[in-house]
Amino acid sequence: MPLPLVNGGGGTLARQKMTMPLDAQDTDGPEEAALLARYARGDAAAARALTTRLTPRAYGHAMRLLGDRAEAEDVAQEAMMRLWKIAPDWRTGEAKVTTWLYRVVANLCTDRLRRRPRGPVALDDVAEPLDPAPGAEDRLLAQARRDALARALASLPERQRLAVMLRHFEGATNPEIAERLDVSVEAVESLTARGKRALAAALKGQATALGYEG
Amino acid sequence: MTDPADKTDWVDALLDDVGQAEVPDASGDLMARVLADAEAAMPAPGGAPARDGLLRQILAGLGGWPSVGGLVAATAVGFAVGLGALDATGLNALWLGDYATYYDDTLGFSVNGWDFEEG
Repeated sequence: MPLPLVNGGGGTLARQKMTMPLDAQDTDGPEEAALLARYARGDAAAARALTTRLTPRAYGHAMRLLGDRAEAEDVAQEAMMRLWKIAPDWRTGEAKVTTWLYRVVANLCTDRLRRRPRGPVALDDVAEPLDPAPGAEDRLLAQARRDALARALASLPERQRLAVMLRHFEGATNPEIAERLDVSVEAVESLTARGKRALAAALKGQATALGYEG
Repeated sequence: MTDPADKTDWVDALLDDVGQAEVPDASGDLMARVLADAEAAMPAPGGAPARDGLLRQILAGLGGWPSVGGLVAATAVGFAVGLGALDATGLNALWLGDYATYYDDTLGFSVNGWDFEEG
């Protein structure tokens, strides 16, 4: 039985994105799991369908965290490769394919962020763009925000990070997050609250530099 | 301006700004690469995961053909050294340029102190 569409919380805004979040485009879970089972039986059509469905989502998620197209493509390709390899051993019903992929992408991005040489980013630390065209400053600010948030997210425990990201990146409601993480709704509320407090601590002192009223 | 850790309003705004930012679509090149990976890793039709043959598995375990070549070379050198390690014949003789000792006057072949007569 197909699960309902993930369309709560920020779902309306999420649907306006050029690249849809992982679970906002269509039914989640069973359909991907069925395709993965077909792929494991050597079905080339299932390989194409999964590639078409999941690659843009993995790439979009990585792009939001990394802000670098080449790196995001590498992460998406690596995450999908791990999916192909795990397909024969996939146990339908134990996890949602999209959530599993979301977790893999997040972890791969975290690894890359930890290897990046720079520390926390503030606007003053970012080189002025050579192009003085209108919008360059906005892009610079967006990059600083993305880098700062990605580094702060990387410092969170995985479940807190996933809960916060599913809430704000995917527009998922607490019940939806609870289902995807296989925890109670109360646990989701606790995870997101603790995650945001941890983020605020990690980003302490950067609000003004990132253009917010702290 | 301060942004105490227990105040998360601006963190919510930051999360929404970053999480709802537009990103470019995945390129056709990426899609092609991922599909190529999928086809290369795809199990054989019928459900049995594609498995390499026994020889390929052994080769893979050893590190592939380059490693096997190295093993063969090392084995050959070790064997040759073993033949001539205990006396002045064999490989030592070749290194010393003393070919005359390789075959003795009676056309015997000396290996590790053991003499073998031809015929």
